[in-house]
Parts: sequence; structure tokens; C-alpha cells
Amino acid sequence: MANARSCQQALADLRRARRRRRVADFDFMEALYRAYVAALFGGAALWWLALRVGGKEVGAATVGRVAVDGPQIAGAVVAVALAIGLRSGGRGGPLALEAADVRHVLLAPVGRRAALRGPAWRQLRFGAAWGAGLGAVVGVLASRRLGGQWPAWAASGALAGASCVDAALGAAMAVSGWRLGRRVAGVLALGVLGWSAADVLVARSTSPMSWLGQVLLWPLRWRPGAFGGVAFAALLVVVGLIALGGTSVEASERRASLVGQLRFAVTMRDLRTVILLRRQLAQEGARRRPWARIGAGTGSLSGRSRTPVVGTSRATRTGARRAGRGGEHPAGPTYPGSRRGIALSALWHRGSQGLLRFPAARLARLALLGAAAGAAAEGAWQGTTPLVAAAGLALYVAGLDVAEPLAQSVDHAALLDGYPLARGAVLAGLFPASAVAMLVVGAAGVATAVGMAGGGTRALAVAAVIWVAASLCGLAGAIISTVQGPPPLFSDSDLMLPPEAIGAKVVLRTLWPPLVSTVGVLPVLAVRASSTDPVAAAVANAVPVLVLVVIVLVWVRNRERLHAAFDLALGRTAAGGRVPDGRGA
Amino acid sequence: MASPAPSVLAAMGVTKSYGDLVALEPLDLAVEAGQRLALVGHNGSGKTTFIKMAAGLLEPTSGTVAVAGEPAGSLEARALLSYVPDEPVLYDDLSVLEHIEFTCRLHGLDDWEDRAADLLSLLGLAARADDLPSRFSRGLRQKTSIVLGLVRPFSVLVVDEPFVGLDPPGRETFVNLMEEAARDGACVVVATHQLDYAATVDRCVGLRDGAVVYDGRPDEIELPSLVG
Repeated sequence: MANARSCQQALADLRRARRRRRVADFDFMEALYRAYVAALFGGAALWWLALRVGGKEVGAATVGRVAVDGPQIAGAVVAVALAIGLRSGGRGGPLALEAADVRHVLLAPVGRRAALRGPAWRQLRFGAAWGAGLGAVVGVLASRRLGGQWPAWAASGALAGASCVDAALGAAMAVSGWRLGRRVAGVLALGVLGWSAADVLVARSTSPMSWLGQVLLWPLRWRPGAFGGVAFAALLVVVGLIALGGTSVEASERRASLVGQLRFAVTMRDLRTVILLRRQLAQEGARRRPWARIGAGTGSLSGRSRTPVVGTSRATRTGARRAGRGGEHPAGPTYPGSRRGIALSALWHRGSQGLLRFPAARLARLALLGAAAGAAAEGAWQGTTPLVAAAGLALYVAGLDVAEPLAQSVDHAALLDGYPLARGAVLAGLFPASAVAMLVVGAAGVATAVGMAGGGTRALAVAAVIWVAASLCGLAGAIISTVQGPPPLFSDSDLMLPPEAIGAKVVLRTLWPPLVSTVGVLPVLAVRASSTDPVAAAVANAVPVLVLVVIVLVWVRNRERLHAAFDLALGRTAAGGRVPDGRGA
Repeated sequence: MASPAPSVLAAMGVTKSYGDLVALEPLDLAVEAGQRLALVGHNGSGKTTFIKMAAGLLEPTSGTVAVAGEPAGSLEARALLSYVPDEPVLYDDLSVLEHIEFTCRLHGLDDWEDRAADLLSLLGLAARADDLPSRFSRGLRQKTSIVLGLVRPFSVLVVDEPFVGLDPPGRETFVNLMEEAARDGACVVVATHQLDYAATVDRCVGLRDGAVVYDGRPDEIELPSLVG
């Protein structure tokens, strides 16, 4: 058998050879272009954020409150990151190896810890760099509102961010290496979250997560004890690296396969595939038993419903009576009732069934996203305008989950074509069930925002009005993204555009769904700026948002017909060779 | 009377479940050195599950798989067992020769060039040794995978669906190489649907829905009944 030293040497030589080949294949101009685009967009976003946040510096009382409560609240964010890390470790994460590494390196007579140390360090370095960057941005933005020297804020933010991400990665490696399993990891995650929540409630920093929060706020109040948080993160990294040897090969292979596909989907900007693969990676499948059972549907969407059989449900009987008075489609097959009524009932049933099978982890994530949206909206209400984007993004991400029944129909286009309804009608018909679910998600945001504002009937009334608009618009953005799918590599219309415009078109296509979601939160700013009654202002500003939601629904319902008409006008065949669906108008 | 040859690959009450789905029922199996064994069964019968457990890629839900007395997947077992997968998994940015060198060095081999050259020549890859397998056809990738499985030292060779994508000369060469490995004392376990190959081995184990339905010589059973 090979000795450890020669194996290490072989691994090092392999990495060198691969790096050499990558460098040889490196396209300098492409890298330069990517760096240019990243700097352009990143810089512009930062500049805009800094300008917006710096609009109004908060008073001494608020600064004092932030100094006291801030560490615990920032600690709660660290706790969420740690909980995510622990859960990832319970499923074999966080390492994402190449499939070939699993087969050739992990199955070779090489110590696993030695074999995995390289990829682990790479991940830790990458995580620290991202965490530091993000933390520095948060620090600089905080300096604009809370005062103080921005370099100090950037440095403390970078240290807190890097420590937070690496603590999460270290915890994940430890849990994975020790094979603690999903349940134990879940219990540990709950413990971490509970400890952090207790810190927030009693306004004291007793947990390492809150100490890391203190690091972030060092420019406001220097607390040397906060180094404990950094030490805690370092300890988790060391423990994680020691435990690496126990990482499961089975989990590594599963992750390797999924992560490869995930990277490809990200490259293709195929958001739906990314979501599905991420769920597989998280082993987040639909529940076999739904949380609750709802009454049987009419089943009118199946091919069987074309048979003129009188149904037994009330909806079907009602429909039959209506049909007797003159059905909507005398030339078509005889339906047992009002097709629209039955279809809506069946689609509602199908949508609800799918949503009631959401696993607990997804429900918890939705509640968290709702709460985050509420907290961000409250932050925007208090004066930090850019937080509307954070709120919109949280609702958009939640919407991507909640729009699952519709997304499933988009995924299975062949099934969709088997229904005696227009494709767009089916998709639009799946909206109500998701809308109800999204309102529940938004309710978590209302509770959070009103709680942060200190309660009050008036605040509740304003939040309730904005809640409906923001929730539905968040879902509308997600639906646009789901229905439009990944951008085509090249479309006919690109022929008519200059290359620069194609780039802008791609950016616009990618950005406009989350932008639509963000529009739903804009009434917060409008009400804040209004001098009239807040509730009346909220209602006045919510109406245009709801109109936007209706427009999106109309677009979903008639999208194919609109595309076909557009293609016809340009003298082309229908997009993708699909025949425009004219059924069931 | 001569004592029976020691088992090089042994499974004791090994099971594998995925939630409610049982992929492999309790399985006891002992394979001796130099024995050629074919695992036969329809899709989903548990062949690949067992092969992957022997290779250390899957962990048994209960029971143990041992390679020369060492737990499957342990450092010692990995040194003794060579696994040729049904789907070749190769680095995109290493040539065939670089793959071979890397594999040999991980197994502590210094004088691997001659053996590698022989295998490359036998499988018709000699002219493509400096090419990237990522640009190969399925069959050539499979041949590369076979070279990697055979170029290193082993006492147990486990092969999953080896003939998929192979041309007839490649298939014949591989069968000969497996026979040569068995003659040299290795135990060779092959999961296959190819009944003509299964008819030539020393022992045939039939699996159905994760359970053993036959264990004996291939000429003592109607082989098609095992995959029907």
C-alpha cells in the first residue's frame, strides 16, 4: 500500500497538473470582461446603496439602542447561518467534491482527512472571502447611518462576516465528519437558534453568536470580550477539519453528482432547475402524507372528464345545471358542467394538495423569509430605504417556493397538454392556492414588522393593507420567473439587436421578476413619504400594485397567444415550433 | 480433506434501505480467491447496490461487507478492491495517461508504465493515451475506466455492467483480462444482464427485489429465469 507521504505528493501533483491545464486554457480577455462587468454592476449597486442609506443619520437615542440591542440581533443572523451549516452537515455537506475525486481519491487507499483537507481549505477560504466582503459592505452602510469612521466599520464587518461564514462551514464539517445525522443536526440547530433568541429577548449577549454581533458593532462600543466570538468560529473550523476524515463517501458521491448539475444549471441561468437540485441536495422531498387532507376534487382535468358523466360533487352538479341552460362550448365535447367552474375547483384542489405536502423544513424557511421581509420592510419604514429591495427579494424567494404547483405544471408540459384547457388557463388557475399560501407567508412578515414597531392598531392596519399587495406581488414576480423559464441560448429576435443590446436584454430578463416582487413593497415608502392618513395612503398605493398582479396573471394566461401573435406579425413560425393553443378561451 | 479457501469478499446479513424502500434484503455471500462470480437480476434487483457497498461507496443499513477481513471502505479494503463502475467517472482535464499515473501513484506503484502500455494496447487506446477522455465516446471512456481498474494492484475486482458501450473486440479483451485476473488469484464479481457471459463464470448469484433467489453453478439453472 502507498505511504501517506507519497499519496500526499500524488494529490499535490494532480492539483498542480490540473492548475497548469486550466491556466493554459485560460481566456484572459473573457476573464477581463467578466471582471469589468462585475465591477461595473457591483460598483454601481454599492454606490447607489451608499447614497441611499446615507440620506439620514439616526439620532443619539437610536444609536444607543443599536449599541445595546444590535449585537443580539446581529447574533441572530449568525445563529441562522450556523443553523444552516449544521443542517447541511447533517446531510453530508458542506463539501462539494468533483465526482471524479470521489471515485478516484476517496476510493484509493489514502487517508480521508488528508484527501479532503485541500477541498475543505478551499471552501473555507472562499467562504471567508465572501463573508468578509459582505460584512465589509454591511459595515460601510452602517457607518452612513450610525456615524463613525467607515474603515473601522468595514474592518469589523469583514471580521464578523468571515467568522460567521467559516463558523457555519466548520460546524457543518464537524457534524458531517462525526455523522451526527439529520435529526441531531436539527436539534443542535434549534438549540443555537433558541439560545440566540433568548439573547434577543433578555437583551444580553451570552452566546458566541451575539459576541460575533458585538464584533460587527465594535465601532459603536468596543467590547474585548467579543473576541470570544472569533475564537469560537476558529474553534469550529479546527474541529471541523479534525472531523473531516469521517465524512461519508455515500453522501459525498450524492452531493458530487447534484452539485455538478447545479453548477451547470447556474451557468445556464436555469433558476427552476437550480431550485429542484437544491431541494435534492437538501433532501427536501414532498411529504408522503399531507399536513391535512382536503375534500376530493372533481377530477375534471383528467382525460376521463371528457366523458359525459354526471359527477357526484356539488360543483359538478351545479355545473351540469348551468350546462343544461346552454353550455359555453356547444361545438366541443359535452362537459358535465361549467368547465371554468369545475376547472377552477380542480386546479384549486391540485394546488392545495401540492402545498399541503411541503416538508417542515420548507415551511420553516418560508416563515423565516416572511419574517425577514417584514423586518426589512420595517427597516425601510424607519428610513433605510434600500431595505425595500431586501424585502422584495425575500418575498420573491418565498414566492418561488409557493408557486410550486404552477412550476410543476410548467415542468411537465406534456401533462399540461393533456388537459382540455388552454395551457395559460391552467397556469393562471393554479394562482389562487398559491396566493392563499403566500398571504400566510406574508402574515409572518406583518407580525414581525408590527412587533418591531411596538404594536398599535394603526400600524397593524397599514401593515395589513401593504401585506396583501406585497405578498401577491412577491408571488407574481416568482410566477413570471417560473413561467418564462431559462433564457434561450439564442433567439430569433436577437438577430435584430446589436450585441450590446442582447446583453442588456439578458440582464433585464433576469432582473425583472425580482423587480416586480419589489414593486409590492414600494407602498411602504409611499406611505412613509405621505402627509395624509397612513391607512388611506396605504390603500391608495396598494391598488396599483394589485393592478400589476392582475396584469401578470393576464400575461400568464395569454402569454402563448401573445407570443404567437407577435411571431405572426414578424412573419415567423410560432416560438419553439409550438402551435399556439387556442383551446378553452 | 483440504480446508475451504478463505473468503476474500464476504457479506454478512447486509441490508440497504432508503427510507421505506428496501434495496437489499439481508444478504450473506462469501466469494473465494480466484472465483469468478456473476450477479444476475433484473433492473432494481440490488446488483449495483451490493457492488457499491463492496466498493465502499454505499454504507450498509445493517450487516457488514468485508474485503479480506477488513470492513469495506476502510483504507486496507480500498487498497485490495478495484471497482469498475457502469458509468465511467473521469476528470475532464486529465489525459488518459495522467489518469493512469495518478491512480498508480495513489496505490504506491512505481513501475506502472509497462503494465499501462500493455492494457492501453490491448484495449486499443494506445494512440489516444495523451487525449482527454472528456472528448471520448462512451465506449472509449468505458475502456479508460477499465484500464484504471486493472492497472492497479487488487485482490478483488468488482465490475458493474461492464459491457455497456463496448465494441465486440473490447468486450472480448475485457473478458480475457478478467479471466487472467482470476487465474492470478483475484476474485472477480461482475453485475450483468449478459447471460452469455454469466454462463461462463464459476458461480452465479441471482437477485430479485433485493433478495437472493439462486446461488450456484450457472449450468444448473435456466439463466433467463433470473432476469425474467
